[in-house]
Amino acid sequence: MSRNLVELAAQGRERRAPTALEVLKEAVQRRGELTDEDRRRAAVQSGLPEATVYGISTFYDDLVRPRGRRHVRVCTGTACFAATGGAHVGELESALGVGLGERTADGSCSLAESVCLGMCHSSPAFRDGDVVDAGAGALARTTAGETRRAAEPDWRSVLSEPVLTRPGDWSALEHALDTLTPEELLARVRSANVRGRGGAGFPAGEKWGFTRAASGEQKLIVANGDEGDPGSYIDKYLLERSPDLVLEGMALAGYAVGASQGFILVRSEYPDARAILERAIDGACRAGRLGRDIRGSGFDFDVTVVEGAGSYVVGEETALLACIEGLRGTVSARPPFPAVRGLYGMPTVVNNVETLANVPYVARHGAEAYRDLSPGATPGTKLVCFNERFRAPGVWEVRFGTPVRELCEELAGGMADGGELRALQIGGPLGGILPASLLDTPFDFDELAAHGCMVGHGGILAFDERTDMRALAHHLLRFGAEESCGKCFPCRIGLRRAEEMFAAQEPVDRARLEELLETLELGSLCAHGGGMPAPIRSLLAHFPHELGLA
Amino acid sequence: MHVTVDGIGVEVEEGATVLEAARLAGKSVPTLCFDERQAPFGACRVCLVGVAGLDKPIPSCTTLCREGMDLDTADPAARRVAVAVVELVLSELPLAPAAHTELAVLARELGVSGRAPRWQGEVREVSHDERHPYLALRHELCISCGRCVRACDEIQGAFALTATGRGFHAGIAAGFDQGFQESSCVSCGACADTCPTEAIGERGLLALLT
Repeated sequence: MSRNLVELAAQGRERRAPTALEVLKEAVQRRGELTDEDRRRAAVQSGLPEATVYGISTFYDDLVRPRGRRHVRVCTGTACFAATGGAHVGELESALGVGLGERTADGSCSLAESVCLGMCHSSPAFRDGDVVDAGAGALARTTAGETRRAAEPDWRSVLSEPVLTRPGDWSALEHALDTLTPEELLARVRSANVRGRGGAGFPAGEKWGFTRAASGEQKLIVANGDEGDPGSYIDKYLLERSPDLVLEGMALAGYAVGASQGFILVRSEYPDARAILERAIDGACRAGRLGRDIRGSGFDFDVTVVEGAGSYVVGEETALLACIEGLRGTVSARPPFPAVRGLYGMPTVVNNVETLANVPYVARHGAEAYRDLSPGATPGTKLVCFNERFRAPGVWEVRFGTPVRELCEELAGGMADGGELRALQIGGPLGGILPASLLDTPFDFDELAAHGCMVGHGGILAFDERTDMRALAHHLLRFGAEESCGKCFPCRIGLRRAEEMFAAQEPVDRARLEELLETLELGSLCAHGGGMPAPIRSLLAHFPHELGLA
Repeated sequence: MHVTVDGIGVEVEEGATVLEAARLAGKSVPTLCFDERQAPFGACRVCLVGVAGLDKPIPSCTTLCREGMDLDTADPAARRVAVAVVELVLSELPLAPAAHTELAVLARELGVSGRAPRWQGEVREVSHDERHPYLALRHELCISCGRCVRACDEIQGAFALTATGRGFHAGIAAGFDQGFQESSCVSCGACADTCPTEAIGERGLLALLT
């Protein structure tokens, strides 16, 4: 990202000005679309150049889609695709008489797609205003303007004393402030080998160490709650049900690296999460768990909640920081790494919210106890979630190393409606696809990687006999192309070309497709373009006869 | 710091990029979004080179040298990606860039020009902005390399240009996309000077060429 623009954003923060993105979001919510007058106001208030504000206003889904008096969103995530093959989208368009991304001429109604609404336990999902409805009858209710809140999924742990599926009680922060130096806490997190839960699996302790060692008066903690993976609703419920656990993890990270300010970015697709977090922050401040001189320790820590505006790639750490600064959410080449030059140019820890939710246990019980949670496997536990094709979908805290079959059959109850499990996509849209024949693979980093798959963020999506594998390839590549930030050439053009190959009714030239996949894998700037080939490679390996290849 | 480029040893300063080391060794590495007057951007991925011990090539413009690095500018995978990227870039333009432009020259060097186009998909929309007395913007020739935006930001400090849109539809605009004249443009021409396709050109020169 431009150093000049980041400097301007930092100056805006110092004088407590709203970000350009905040001004634009407020304007579109109020009037349904943006005018140049809104952009001019955003430029004046934020202190950014007018052209820069124009660029921001053309980047985010929430800013570019016109809104009617009634604004309906239909989920086009992969769980909804697995449930209906995508038919629910066209049915809703016909029923409402308005196409995707359009608004009726009289301005009464508009329809937009959303990837995804995080209701994957009960597909297909629809959002009318801030009410998210899902599952049987939801399409008819949305058509009739009678949506009701969908039932919430189960939230359980295989452990008798859950590490993650519990409300935070702040005892770990009290324990750390009373008995551990920041260095000791950092050493504990390093020794526990807490791997990042957002997808990349990078050791959190290493990131913390880099930030602690970086020079800079002020350091920052950023919690990544931009859970954009279609098919994943883990962070949604972590934020909505255990906000204190995430906040406590952020405060511990701040104590360990010497940061007194945290930011947490929450997706705009999760309308409840922001309000719940803000209430939890207020409560923690009143109880003396956040704020100045916490428990008389001299440690200060505050948390600011920032809402996203509709962009998958904003989950990538450099794009996430740009979004918090209110700029275009595009990816930046590293170095500089955020640990050295991150948010507003300051040394910054960026951790996924689930990663941070692991920290209180490590701080309270130590590295050895943490490693013992998953004997002989990656330390700690993982939250996974299952889609609507399973009999008992929900969020589960599981041990690493558990066979995938056990997760699917014993925890999620096997396939619903007597369906036949054909394949799973684990860990998000950048994860490979595991055929049913490999269900005995242990759920862990290396074991899944051996089959071209990954733990990723932990979403487990089942496809049954109703899924058309060629249509699935197209669904995934369309998502990839739509969500490309547009910065690097392989992703920007390559994903569109790959999507076009499957959109046409003609046979797909396999050699040419594989040439594109290699260009994406080797050439892309970030994991989005680099990872989108993984599920396509899996489909080529396991379902070649169903892809219409030439 | 000592690094090796195609078997040639060179000494570089701490903080030098792999691209700088390659050029110091007299090796040519193709680039497209790179302009040595600007901070490296890392968008085009044409400048990939191989590194001994790594299984994937690395972008040379944004990667810093490390002591003892052994670089291969002829790495076959890196060359395949560079050729594929330039072919993809040409496929998004509804017309070929003029023969003297940086993109056209690069395409010839990589053996991509003159080939039958293999991608028949969506191309950029033809849209001209010729309201400014000196500068003309032809959106269909823009390849979103960001050089003009960075020139306006880093060299001129006018901030009249921005990247727009997302994904395949990423482009550029001046001001609120009402043309250069309605923006903070100071008519310095730094954008036209760096543009590798003449998507932004100086009107007098363009008239002479066409």
